[in-house]
Amino acid sequence: MDIVKRCFEAARAQPGRIVLPEGHDPRIAAAARQLADDGLAQPILLGKADRITAAASEAGVSLTGIETFDPAESDRLGTYADRYRAGRSLKESIALRMVKKPLFFGGMMVACGDADTLVAGVANATATVIQAGVLTVGYGPGIETASSFFLMLVPTPGGGAERPFIFADCAVNVQPTAEQLADIAIASAGSAASLLEDPPRTAMLSFSTRGSASHADAEKVTAALQLVRKRNPSLLIDGEFQADSAIVPAVAAKKVADGSPVAGQANVLVFPDLDAGNIAYKLTQYLAGAKAIGPFLQGFAHPISDLSRGASVDDIVATSAICLAQAGKDG
Amino acid sequence: MSDVATRVKQVVAETLEIDASQIGDTDRFVEDLGAESIQSVELVAAFEEEFDIDMDSEGALGVKAIDGAVDFIAKAVAEQHPG
Repeated sequence: MDIVKRCFEAARAQPGRIVLPEGHDPRIAAAARQLADDGLAQPILLGKADRITAAASEAGVSLTGIETFDPAESDRLGTYADRYRAGRSLKESIALRMVKKPLFFGGMMVACGDADTLVAGVANATATVIQAGVLTVGYGPGIETASSFFLMLVPTPGGGAERPFIFADCAVNVQPTAEQLADIAIASAGSAASLLEDPPRTAMLSFSTRGSASHADAEKVTAALQLVRKRNPSLLIDGEFQADSAIVPAVAAKKVADGSPVAGQANVLVFPDLDAGNIAYKLTQYLAGAKAIGPFLQGFAHPISDLSRGASVDDIVATSAICLAQAGKDG
Repeated sequence: MSDVATRVKQVVAETLEIDASQIGDTDRFVEDLGAESIQSVELVAAFEEEFDIDMDSEGALGVKAIDGAVDFIAKAVAEQHPG
């Protein structure tokens, strides 16, 4: 079954609570309606009551059965502010001011278990969504870098089933350090585990295969690989590999003579920097005719995602279903 | 030095937990004062509270240094609390 359809089925099997902090946008109201009507989720819209009503009216949808909250009027503010500033020297008044912001209130709902996932970005920049995610939901265990991935569905010759890949990081970290690259690899393997049917096999990509070239950029990739192995020895990860060594068995057999559980059969491709990642996903999309779904954020303690400003209602529903499927696996 | 500048430095000092007297008029938040970019949104909230203003978050997050913050806030105060 198509991986996206499988996410819809998973979301439908166990409809989670999704918080949509941009309830003033008609597309968000329409997406919430569709998520509820299709049995995919229990949507929660945040914003001022009159503006949410106006957005729903503009979208031509009813809000019956959809929860709405005005963060500024919520009785949860004190609890969320306390949790927000826990272990920090932040003033209570500033914490209260922060959690009144819908994006932060939504993040605290996820952090406190009052929602399973958060999807935003039609009215907020990616950097703002990431910032809210870091300060509310926080990073996943052992991770200190927010990153992003694309789910790439690559057509196979002869028209068989599409091959799914995770590509990362294609949207957030411009020139990751070895430590950040290790975080990206671990988060990407986790994203793959929650979305793909096959176990993640993660390749750390470079212009060099197993020392075929000597350069600081290739050494950064091998340093990241060592860090991942130290932090997570059970992960199926290998490198540094050129792209063909990572995904073509015949090339892997020649270039990776010592054998590898990843070479030639990688389904998670970790690029050394944003130039490589962004160019690779666009070339795969346009030259190979692959579907590029995303970008999704990763590295957080619970799945949250960003939307493009131009996202359609269908984009918002699909992103939500994928986040809910990930949240279901987490839970 | 203007009253706004003094108060901006005080807020920055409290938020970033540094000594206000060490903050220069043109210091940049990240490069000179050691702020993590992730803290910028809390810095904006602290300015909003100190000056009782609402700051356009994307415009505010484009401000990178003390002098820029002083100008941005002085303008917001003039607009939101005329007279």
